[in-house]
Amino acid sequence: MKLETVSRLYSAFKRTAKSQLRHPQSAAGTLLVAFFLILALFGPQLAPHSNPNDQSHDVRVPPTLDLGALQLGEHPFGTDRLGRDVYSRVILGAGSIFRIAGLGTLISVILGSALGLFMGYQGGWVDEVIGRVIDALLAIPALLLALVLIGIIRNLDFEAGSWQAALADNVILLVISLLYIPIVARVARSTTLDIKTREFVEAAQIRGESQFYIIFREILPSVIPSLVVEASLRFSYAIFLVASLGFLGFGARPPSPDWGLMVNENRGGFYQLTPWALDFPALAIAILVIAVNLMSDGIRRAVQKGS
Amino acid sequence: MSATCQNLLEVDNLTISYRVEDQWIPAVRDFRLQLGRGEIVGLVGESGSGKSTVALALMHYLSSNGRVESGGRLQFDDEDLLRKSNAEMRQLWAKRIKFVPQNAAAALNPSIKIGRQVMEALKAAEGIDDHDGYTRMMRMFHDVNLVDPERVAERYPHELSGGMQQRVTIAMALISNPELLIMDEPTTGLDVTTEAVILDLVRGLIAERDTGVVYITHNLGVVAQLCERVLVLYAGEIMEEASVLDLFEHPRHPYTLGLISSVPKPGQSKSAAQLQSIPGNPPSLTQIPGGCVFAERCPLVVDLCRERKPPLETLDDGRLVRCHRWKELSQPLPPTPSRRVCVHATPKHQGGGATYGRPRPDPYAIPAAEQAKSPPIAMGGDLEGGWRAGQTLMQVSNLNKHFPVERNLREILGRLEPSPIRAVDGVDLQLRAGQTLGLVGESGSGKTTLARLIIGLEERSGGALHLLGMDVRNSVRERSQDVLSKLQMVFQNPQNSLNPYLSVRQAIRRPLMKLRGLSPEAADAEALALLARVNLRAEYAERYPDELSGGEKQRVAIARAFASDPDLIICDEAVSALDVSVQSAVLNLLAALQDDHGSAYLFISHNLSVVGYLADTIAVMYLGQLFEVGEARELFQPPYHPYTEALVSAIPVPDPLHSTERILLSDDLPSAQNLPSGCRFHTRCPRKIGEICETDEPPWRQGDAGHLIRCHIPLEELTAAQSGLIPLDEVD
Repeated sequence: MKLETVSRLYSAFKRTAKSQLRHPQSAAGTLLVAFFLILALFGPQLAPHSNPNDQSHDVRVPPTLDLGALQLGEHPFGTDRLGRDVYSRVILGAGSIFRIAGLGTLISVILGSALGLFMGYQGGWVDEVIGRVIDALLAIPALLLALVLIGIIRNLDFEAGSWQAALADNVILLVISLLYIPIVARVARSTTLDIKTREFVEAAQIRGESQFYIIFREILPSVIPSLVVEASLRFSYAIFLVASLGFLGFGARPPSPDWGLMVNENRGGFYQLTPWALDFPALAIAILVIAVNLMSDGIRRAVQKGS
Repeated sequence: MSATCQNLLEVDNLTISYRVEDQWIPAVRDFRLQLGRGEIVGLVGESGSGKSTVALALMHYLSSNGRVESGGRLQFDDEDLLRKSNAEMRQLWAKRIKFVPQNAAAALNPSIKIGRQVMEALKAAEGIDDHDGYTRMMRMFHDVNLVDPERVAERYPHELSGGMQQRVTIAMALISNPELLIMDEPTTGLDVTTEAVILDLVRGLIAERDTGVVYITHNLGVVAQLCERVLVLYAGEIMEEASVLDLFEHPRHPYTLGLISSVPKPGQSKSAAQLQSIPGNPPSLTQIPGGCVFAERCPLVVDLCRERKPPLETLDDGRLVRCHRWKELSQPLPPTPSRRVCVHATPKHQGGGATYGRPRPDPYAIPAAEQAKSPPIAMGGDLEGGWRAGQTLMQVSNLNKHFPVERNLREILGRLEPSPIRAVDGVDLQLRAGQTLGLVGESGSGKTTLARLIIGLEERSGGALHLLGMDVRNSVRERSQDVLSKLQMVFQNPQNSLNPYLSVRQAIRRPLMKLRGLSPEAADAEALALLARVNLRAEYAERYPDELSGGEKQRVAIARAFASDPDLIICDEAVSALDVSVQSAVLNLLAALQDDHGSAYLFISHNLSVVGYLADTIAVMYLGQLFEVGEARELFQPPYHPYTEALVSAIPVPDPLHSTERILLSDDLPSAQNLPSGCRFHTRCPRKIGEICETDEPPWRQGDAGHLIRCHIPLEELTAAQSGLIPLDEVD
């Protein structure tokens, strides 16, 4: 992308940031997302115990966090039944959720928007056929489809070190991308349908521009704002999906400090013993999802205003 | 100002502000108005002048981000509207103050039948029972000339044409016999033919009642034909107020003068004189200049104008004017500078003199074998004394575009093939190098489809196109680089014709690189040269479309179209979206560029005066077919085709002394899917002679100088029947 386009998008970004600040909810959401992002990036440095599976602590220590006195104490969120520091595990868990949900969103936005732009611009039977396939995919509940796919892929036996094995290791990433490509494609398609009737696209057609040029140089920049909104929304759903899969036991495997997995491990009878070991990761999921939603609300508002 | 009680509406010192990002911006300043009962006052201004803001403020109906600043007065009858609560206003709105909006389609509720909506309005105004109300409504529908009122009442808004919808909103406003009526551009979205009908209607209805009307418009012609007094608004301030006669005869403000002279009059042509235009753009409301708001664009500006704001002076004869130098304007004006006496070197002048009458060999003429089945019009150039000389640039033969219609269930079951929409149906045209062909017609006549077929954005269903003797392929995708660079287009909507994410330089240099094969560096240099030629400074190269005004965007679009040095540029309503003061500058620019480049234009517009100004030849289109072709001058003189006659008579001429018998057409254009038999115009033709019009297709009749009319009536009879529509002195 050319420098000018980047600077245009940058000014749009600045406008977005300004409008975020005007609405306290979205500002709060954005700040919270930024906070979690810092946890994700610098978790190992920030966590008091950088090994999440360090079982050397006393078991079932209640949270020492004292909000009144603003003191963290030895184990702010307590320890679980195996003597692991819940506070460190929650901080270290942010990394994996951001990596999987973020990367999955990124892949699906890039591939989905390329697909949607192509369908929308091409129209005709291409649009019709791909459109029906997408409709069919969207008719299946996302979680169900995810479980089926993960179940199949994990049960396949791949040669260690082969690319299939690498794929199977990142099965959740793969599933998120597959689930969200059609959704992003639909958004990109509908915006493209609107933009392609604009006269500047026709002006490009009558000077004989290639389809590739028209799609990526003329249409794409105008589609990006709605893609940004969709991406932020997809991200919040992806976080929820990763947490759900973790909780159902289809995501990260024990003993990794995955928030969904932590909720699962400490439910049922264990909840009576160490409620904090469930409450804090659950709270983290809830706050992050709400924060991303508030942020995407703000982005949507700014984008709609700008257009 | 003494308070008199006989005035219906008295407005004084009204300042209206809008909140934009925590800041109150005064959009209209020191507005004043006195309106008597039964009086029609016009409020004229360009886009952004604050017309609609005034309309809403007069209704005391500003949106929540708008407010009237304290110190103003808004007196309706003996009520002080500024002190009224919303609930109190609602009673006034229901009965005494009514509003007619610009967009009737959006103002009517799409899911409620017309009859019920109008009845609701009536019942809100007065306690009336259903039976009496219905009778009143029928009478009102009859008054606004709605054909078949009972059936109209049973229909939903989308089942009515634009003109009928506007009649319904007018009926809705007038049914409670309001004392004050505010009309906000009620005819702007309509065709001239429909506009003429609605204006006649409004004039008649107001004369019968004692309603005071504030009529808001940007169209000086409409004002001249309808209003008694006019207020000219610019950048939120009154520039001048006068009776309509005084305003047009002796304008006292340079802005008014500029506005009046920038509108082409019917019959005015580019070969006579350049149009006057007002340079520059209106000031931004966030940076209102300290002195006169018009100073930046004023031809009479002196230092005083920039330093001190001129007061709104009341002249002896009761006129208002806001200008330091109005006294000088009461002197007679210097004549309009004439132009292009020498520079006009288009082929039509070369054709004069010794070679005239003996057609020169035309190297691009199409071989006779390919001219099969051409009606006389295609031969126009070969006729003795036919269209003026000039090589044939493009030949359009029997061009068709039939849009297929999806079959409905009955047709699928019955294996019926629905008849297609025949948007363009057998058009023959000849375009000559370096000349302008104007194409006029109402919306739905197929003008735009014809343009899109020629440019290749739409695939033709039949017929042939030849450019310089070469066969032109169907769609842009199949056309060679060579053909693409010879054909370019300027689009209607400046808002959409430039990519918001590309700078002006990028927009112009792309066709230079793509179609002329220039290197990026050469293209950059050439782009700057092109910018200079469309009168934009070099610094515009780095701007983005949202930093340009509408006129500037259109200039960039014109520069882009000229980049490949095309032989033919299609201008589809290229100036329709622009304000008059800007429009004239763009028209001048198009004329000047044509002189320099020798490009031909296919200039499409619904505005006959504009087409008449720019075109050498004009074609009149109706329901997919041409009905008249001739030189531009000829078109404004009899004989006319009856359809052209109606179009010409409907032009609102910006001259209050001008009056013609309007030929009013019904506003229901037949559907292009279900075309009338015989002559397609017979359903609306005021000169229909009998059954022959319904059964036989009319023949092409040939008049002087290649003038062609497709009608059953012989031209002599047409000439005899049509006279004095436009006084001849205006034609020259």
